[in-house]
Amino acid sequence: MRKHAEYKMPGGKLVVVDIAIDQGQLRDVAISGDFFLEPDTALTAINSALNGQPLTASMAELAAAVARKLPDEVRMYGIDADAIAMVVRRAMDQAEQADGAGSGMAMEE
Amino acid sequence: MVQAAAWRWRSEVSNWNDFEWQLIHEAPRAPALHMALDEVITDAVAAGHRAPTLRVWEWAAPAVVIGRFQSLRNEVDEAAAARHGIDVVRRITGGGAMFIEPGNTITYSLSAPESLVQGMSFEQSYAFMDRWVLTALHSLGIDAWYQPLNDITSRSGKIAGAAQMRRGKAVLHHVTMAYDIDADKMLDVLRIGREKLSDKATQSANKRVDPLRSQTGLPREQVIARMIDTFRDLHGLHPDTVRADELQRAQQLVLEKFATPAWRALVT
Repeated sequence: MRKHAEYKMPGGKLVVVDIAIDQGQLRDVAISGDFFLEPDTALTAINSALNGQPLTASMAELAAAVARKLPDEVRMYGIDADAIAMVVRRAMDQAEQADGAGSGMAMEE
Repeated sequence: MVQAAAWRWRSEVSNWNDFEWQLIHEAPRAPALHMALDEVITDAVAAGHRAPTLRVWEWAAPAVVIGRFQSLRNEVDEAAAARHGIDVVRRITGGGAMFIEPGNTITYSLSAPESLVQGMSFEQSYAFMDRWVLTALHSLGIDAWYQPLNDITSRSGKIAGAAQMRRGKAVLHHVTMAYDIDADKMLDVLRIGREKLSDKATQSANKRVDPLRSQTGLPREQVIARMIDTFRDLHGLHPDTVRADELQRAQQLVLEKFATPAWRALVT
């Protein structure tokens, strides 16, 4: 099941996520958006921090997982670990609703 | 060059007028080559091979320029872009997609030692790098101001968007200003989602931008001339050109990076 969500951080930038969900875990996480991030390689670190997270992970857990993987010298503008957690949780919530309703196909991207 | 070496010994922090600013304003170039020139020129400044430089762009072709972290699929209707004959290129800085038509935009880059913005927050350094532009706009009778995070705006709408990055010992700051705009074509090519507009005052994407043509009533060349004159008055500015080795390196970067499908779809 593939999911897509967007979140405009108030006073910040748009954060977008595309994910696959496989056996209750996040796969192929791809964060994108019009934010600023230095060094640019930090995007890979963020995606890899989210890969493998369980569908049950809370926003706080997702944000902590992202923060742990960020390099010390990272500089973010218009985005933060909480905004990333928020958009990922939105995509996960869609997946859970689709699952619960038994109509996952209709909700898929 | 001598001056560029001297400030490093003096202090970690520098000011505009510590440098011999160079102006590059040349004939139109292809969009991908502009992306490459930003990288090459900023790296040359970082290495101390070139004095800090203001480069005013002229576009040889229309383009959609997407930010370093934007999803190609999510931001651009590629079929519509192809139908209109519009190149899609990815730049090295973050930020949002720009819809460019030659003659409709005023784009410039500043490549400077990082010391110029040393110790500043992002919010401070964006406003700092464009202070001279606000002075120029004010002199043209436009009541423009800096709108964090990275916009120049006015009462009647957004005028420009900036993007900035630190690259080695240099900072690259580039800005695209709307001079005129074909809003219908822009909305045909760019995908602007509802979420993006969710905390903006105006909900309609084509009402968000108010171009300089309607605000000044002046030809584009006169607006550019005023901007250059303002920079020269404030900070000094010497005529310069892209050097042969810089151009060669940029052309190579276009082939190796900016024109490749891999870079374009770096974030699919």
